[in-house]
Amino acid sequence: MSEQTQMDTLAYSSRMLGWAPLGKLLFVIAILIVNIATASVLVTFVTLGIGLTLMAYSTNFKIPFIIFLAILEAFAILIFGAGVISVNGTDTSTVIWDTDFLWMHFHMTVDSFNKAWLILLRGTSGIAVMLSFATSTPIPHMSLAMKQVHMPTELIEIVVLIYRYAFLLLERMEAMWNAAHSRMGFNGARTSINTVAAIAVGIFIQSTSLSDKSQIALDCRNYRGYFPVFSEPAKTGVKWLIVIVVAAVAIYMFGEYTADWINMAHLILGVE
Amino acid sequence: MALFEVRNVTYSYNSRQKRPSLNDISLKVNEGRRTAILGANGAGKSTLFYHFNGIFKPSAGEVLYNDRPLDYSKPALRELRNDICVVVQNPDEQIFSSTVESDVAFGPMSMELPRDEVDTRIREALDMVGMTDYRMRPSTQLSYGQRKRVSLAGALAVRPKVLILDEPTAGLDPQMAREVMELIDQLYCAGTTVILSTHDVDLVYSWAEDIIVLNHGELVYSGEPEEYFSDPEKTAYAGLARPHTFSVNSYVSKMRGLEESPYPRTTSQFIAKMAPEGAKGGHVRIVPVKEGTEAVEKTGAVGAYGYRAKKLVEAKGIEVDYMYDALEMCMQDAVKSKDSVLYCDEVLVDMAVDRIRSLESFGIKAEVIM
Repeated sequence: MSEQTQMDTLAYSSRMLGWAPLGKLLFVIAILIVNIATASVLVTFVTLGIGLTLMAYSTNFKIPFIIFLAILEAFAILIFGAGVISVNGTDTSTVIWDTDFLWMHFHMTVDSFNKAWLILLRGTSGIAVMLSFATSTPIPHMSLAMKQVHMPTELIEIVVLIYRYAFLLLERMEAMWNAAHSRMGFNGARTSINTVAAIAVGIFIQSTSLSDKSQIALDCRNYRGYFPVFSEPAKTGVKWLIVIVVAAVAIYMFGEYTADWINMAHLILGVE
Repeated sequence: MALFEVRNVTYSYNSRQKRPSLNDISLKVNEGRRTAILGANGAGKSTLFYHFNGIFKPSAGEVLYNDRPLDYSKPALRELRNDICVVVQNPDEQIFSSTVESDVAFGPMSMELPRDEVDTRIREALDMVGMTDYRMRPSTQLSYGQRKRVSLAGALAVRPKVLILDEPTAGLDPQMAREVMELIDQLYCAGTTVILSTHDVDLVYSWAEDIIVLNHGELVYSGEPEEYFSDPEKTAYAGLARPHTFSVNSYVSKMRGLEESPYPRTTSQFIAKMAPEGAKGGHVRIVPVKEGTEAVEKTGAVGAYGYRAKKLVEAKGIEVDYMYDALEMCMQDAVKSKDSVLYCDEVLVDMAVDRIRSLESFGIKAEVIM
């Protein structure tokens, strides 16, 4: 099985698979909103804790390598972004660092430093919470959640079809990739670039031909413009709503109460 | 009675095509006959059967279903496609739901059947193709052979009157291919008209009663297989080869100074024809499998024919010698004067008896015990 399909396998083997997808989605959205609604650093740790706990329960942290790389990439982007924010302080709080380098001016203040940390922690905890949802909810379940909130049928059908055919095209791409490997297609940088370009073009052409054939197959099976659902996922009941509201309110209150508890500049650099 | 009649049909995919994909074709497909459409790649086989369910509308000519010209209005096509199911060659083009269950349920749900009925049909269809354990699996996690079975189950769940299969055994291992053919026999015996398109001449020769041969969109032949394969030039013209059994019979009959006719279509029939005069056939005990069927005494090799028979022998722990191609293997035993026991789905019994008795016309009388 290819690396690309491992995420799907992971979601289908999750302990949280049977949970109401809409409930999970609303829970994650509520936590993410609260996470950015308060200025407390501690809330980001609470959010991170929730995300990691859910991920541990859902998958025992068996994250496919390619997804792990994607998380690292997102984390690197967050660090870079936070770095940029921290050296662009415009306020009048205590200056930590001020210097010129080439045409750039770096101006780090206590506030910009704290803001950068808050954003980094919010981003990291947000990724953890979203991953707990992604690793426990296959796309088809998500489409059913979308159906439950009465999103347009056309949009949902497109999501389902993209999901289905993306895997097919990934499989074909993998076959082409292996074939190229066995024909010395990655022998040197120049050849590799040519090969990757050829594979991309090939996949694009195949996708159009696949869509034609699939249209015929859909007609053959009496497609009426929607995919009927036989097994509905668990419904989002009152219990879910109570959990979501209680969790969101509790975290928000906690955030308001602890807003000034941690000053990262003081904690790390000893600067007030 | 002609189920389909194609009258002077011409079809081109686009106006720039120099040669139409189907060129002035006229033919009939009879109800209740095992019909195969034969032809090399690009012969127009798929194009032809997409005319049967109204996917393609002829540029010229007309297609009749049950003696009535096809109505291409939406409601009429919907009704037509509830009757006629096409299983395309590549299962990936056909399976578009995310799980096995949802894909098999697609047809019955689209027919707006009650939920219980849909559930029954899903269970039965998956049972028939041996995919019951995979019901909740995502379709992305299946092997090619499994996907092929699921695509077939999707069609079976609709319970069509006519089942059209495009290269049903392509890409399958030999055992699975035989299982699919057994399933096709089962559907045929249950009253479904089966049309299959293939370029596997051996498969066609052992299975089909009628063949339709196409070459570059032209009709080359329509009728019984023997007449067509007797003409090597005609066979080569369509980019095909003669079936192995047909060729061997032809050569060996000439060498022995025998008549080519009767034409054996299976190995057992061929061996029966070539057996020494006066050779005695064995007994085949047929055990019709229905609810409550019990194991019988083992009087020879044991075979299971049909999916219910296979389930029974598994459930009862019956030791089986022939799990695949069991009828043919029991026939071969009978030709070798050996006795055998064949657990056979009730619906397949008549066909099994006919086939075993057919050995008599090749010189060996095998006795059927019920």
